[in-house]
Amino acid sequence: MHVRRLGELEAEIMDRLWAWQRPATVREIVDDINRGRRVAYTTVMTVADILHRKGWLRREKAGRAWLYEPVRSREEYTAGLMRDALGDSQDRPAALLRFVEVISDEDMDALDAALRAARGDHDPHLGGGSGA
Amino acid sequence: MNVNHHVLVPLGLVVLTGFLVPWLLVRARWAQQAPRLALGVWAACGAAFAAATALLPAQLVLSSASSHRLADMMFAFELPTVEQLLGLDGRERFALALSLAVLSMPAAAFVRRLARARRVRVRHAGVLRLVGRYDPALRATVLDDERPAVYCLPGRSRRVVVSSGAVDALTPAQLAAALAHERAHIAGRHHLLVAASEAFAAVFSRLPLARHGEGSVPLLLEMAADDRALRRCTRDALATALYALASGRAPRSAFAAGGPSAALRMRRILTPHSAGHPVLRGLMTIAAAGLAMTPLIVACCSFPG
Repeated sequence: MHVRRLGELEAEIMDRLWAWQRPATVREIVDDINRGRRVAYTTVMTVADILHRKGWLRREKAGRAWLYEPVRSREEYTAGLMRDALGDSQDRPAALLRFVEVISDEDMDALDAALRAARGDHDPHLGGGSGA
Repeated sequence: MNVNHHVLVPLGLVVLTGFLVPWLLVRARWAQQAPRLALGVWAACGAAFAAATALLPAQLVLSSASSHRLADMMFAFELPTVEQLLGLDGRERFALALSLAVLSMPAAAFVRRLARARRVRVRHAGVLRLVGRYDPALRATVLDDERPAVYCLPGRSRRVVVSSGAVDALTPAQLAAALAHERAHIAGRHHLLVAASEAFAAVFSRLPLARHGEGSVPLLLEMAADDRALRRCTRDALATALYALASGRAPRSAFAAGGPSAALRMRRILTPHSAGHPVLRGLMTIAAAGLAMTPLIVACCSFPG
């Protein structure tokens, strides 16, 4: 349970820093989270430090506090996940199971024909209302 | 010639499960109509082949008497007791070590594949946790990207993922169908069979069982997941979801070989229940293959010692 809370807090911190698009201190993050629910300053500080060590955040000293900033944008991370999701990286074990694999032009034509044939034969409503 | 005739049984099994049944299975039309049965046959062939290749060298090494006892235990599906294992003589121990060494090759490849896939998944899930948004209504994680994609992470970090592009492109019924398909993958632990077929292909690359299995198993798994999804959605929803997701991405002929054919799946979803009794035909094929072993077993048992 505790571990899961920390995980959620990681996402909350990243969400804010990505949304703000500027470096921020732990104090700013804590204040923003506290508008919704109570969270201790030290907890956020610890989790921000974890994110820094994991390579998600970079930080620099500003006076006495650290200013945290995402290393990469949300879009960059998403693009990496989509590469896995779309099967662009070929030589890796089947880690994910995809609904549709990469598809060829010929397969696409066959798919088209199959769908059209089925609609014509079985269900005229879907083919654009041409009637049986 | 002093070759032990008990070698015949594992040898027969190797030929049957490694060559004959895969050859039949890849040509059988019932396989795609009863994908779960076909997957069961592939899995059984893999297990039997691995066991037979492990027994083969043991039977060659053993004395006639002990190899006869081993054959008896095999027919009775009997595992040796601890006492029996402790009381093995030198030659029997050597045979056992040989068997385990042979068996460890596909087993190690399987475990390596699973571990590697798991590492990829853990990394993927770690990023997903921070980048994606869990949608309780969909019971899936939504990833902000225009390109339509629906996939799942099986195993311990299990979850279904949809891109926002897929949510936009699909109707609620289509989305539900695609999600049901992915949940079927997770519930059926399909990643284990994928890993097993990949491991077999890596270890026994020339073997028909491995070659055909690597091609057939992923497609059959997709079909099995389609069937399971169809319990909760209409044929039209699943077929059009497949079409919408396939057409929403750039086709690439270069990678076309290999991947499970969406067109085959679609035709299958849209044309339910072809004539005949696929399951019955499947069972008959399996029974026929089993019968093919009988002469070998009879030969083996009628020349004791």
